[in-house]
Amino acid sequence: MTAVVEVTGLTKTFGSLNAVDNVSFTVEQNKIYGLLGRNGAGKTTLMQLLTAQDFPTRGSIRVFGENPVETAKVLQNVCFIKESQKYPDDFQVKHVLKSAPWFFRNWDAEYAERLVHDFRLPANRRIKKLSRGQLSSVGVIVGLASRAPLTFFDEPYLGLDAVARQIFYDRLLEDYAEHPRTVILSTHLIDEVSNLLEHVLVIDEGRILLDEDAENVRGSATTVVGARTAVDTFVGRREVLHREGIGGLASVTIGALTPEERREAAAAGLELSPVSLQQLIVRKTNTSNQEFEQSA
Amino acid sequence: MTTTTTTHTEPGGELQRILNVTRLHLTNKFPMMVLPLLILGFIFLVNYLIWWLIRGVTDPQGAADATQGMQFSGASSFIFIYMLVVAVQSVNLTFPFALGYSVTRRDFYLGTSVMFVLLSGYYAVIMTVMAGLERATNGWGLGGGMFDVIYFRTDNLALQFVLFLLTFLFFFFVGAATAAVYVRWRANGMYVFFAILTLLVIGLVALATYTESWPQVGAWFATNGALGVALWSLTVTALCALTGFLLIRKATPKN
Repeated sequence: MTAVVEVTGLTKTFGSLNAVDNVSFTVEQNKIYGLLGRNGAGKTTLMQLLTAQDFPTRGSIRVFGENPVETAKVLQNVCFIKESQKYPDDFQVKHVLKSAPWFFRNWDAEYAERLVHDFRLPANRRIKKLSRGQLSSVGVIVGLASRAPLTFFDEPYLGLDAVARQIFYDRLLEDYAEHPRTVILSTHLIDEVSNLLEHVLVIDEGRILLDEDAENVRGSATTVVGARTAVDTFVGRREVLHREGIGGLASVTIGALTPEERREAAAAGLELSPVSLQQLIVRKTNTSNQEFEQSA
Repeated sequence: MTTTTTTHTEPGGELQRILNVTRLHLTNKFPMMVLPLLILGFIFLVNYLIWWLIRGVTDPQGAADATQGMQFSGASSFIFIYMLVVAVQSVNLTFPFALGYSVTRRDFYLGTSVMFVLLSGYYAVIMTVMAGLERATNGWGLGGGMFDVIYFRTDNLALQFVLFLLTFLFFFFVGAATAAVYVRWRANGMYVFFAILTLLVIGLVALATYTESWPQVGAWFATNGALGVALWSLTVTALCALTGFLLIRKATPKN
């Protein structure tokens, strides 16, 4: 596989805060990545660094094999849609559609028009007058219709209703199938996008907690439910990701189980259930928080 | 080699990239090229009514006095300030937008500068034509003066155009450099910038006062004339343009 993004030892500090803390990873071509993490985990900063909107404090970034900072050749193949994008004063939706093709070579104007229709966006309205959701759909339309080989969506759907979000997921998958490209999507609506993602990067407090194929992540944990004593016996010395219980019942999340272990659990009268990507990530990031609090 | 399913577009020509930024600024032409003229037209209308009123109520001697007195009204100075604001907005708002379109800082600044030069030319032509008309009609038939003001006037219309052009360039790049300070260092940059500017101006005033060189200062403006001063302003314009470039190269589109 071809690496589109290669990051080594990347750090970005704001004063005493390490927004991105000695991070290394690679992004492979033509995959959909989920960049997941809590608010303030460093997702936006990381994306701003990769798109050369901000400068790293330390470490190296290679996008399409080159340092992206002030490199037109690299940036022309990159599209970064962020939640807080600013627009020139008095710009209308149609002005965005008119100017975007000058900067994105693969821009598909017809497709953009269709998306405007799908999202019911008024073309003649000033950007300033748009609702939060409509503003988000402007970004989503640019991100999709630009068909940039490397597309970043940073929380692209703030304020979008469930229908509009579903349109976004559907269009993204359809268009991705026809025009493969690398997509990096940051979000905290993890369950909604979990079927979309092929690879998951979980970031917390500026560090990468998880860098794993999405399939592997989904199979990497199981929840065991049953009588407390039976559950405790079964879990034994395994690493526990999460535990909750009421009265004599316990529900414990542990790592992946072999088929043999599953039979053993069934024999002990325990129920096994899969863990959603969202639950898994909540547990992973919570754990690190507890560790952090204990060490503090 | 690896087969790439996504077509990597060839990098566009450098000039094309820069001109695309210029086009981006002018995507919405109304606030840049039409609105200022409408405002100027309204100011002209109000001025015209005032000249007409003065004419109507004064005798010939009074009218001549009035013509003398109307040589400097400052009515058209609004357009220069407006262009300063256009420059500030272009840098402050279009910079984060252009970066969102994956434009480099360098291309952004150069394309923006091209836009400033084009707009300076556009407005300098309009102002020169209006000044020419004002002369030809002897102050719009009422002895009024709005486009042709004392000190600022040169008899040669070509030179008058150069004078307007240099003045517009000055305001555009002063605006750009100021906005670049803001984009680079935000509010704190503004506080420090205006503090230094204030101290600098007071320092120069103090210097001129203590060395009793105000007459020389006046003489400098008199001997150089408007055109000479405008040519000197080019050094400030160039300095601002360069400062803006250096600041933007290190700026980030923060909220």
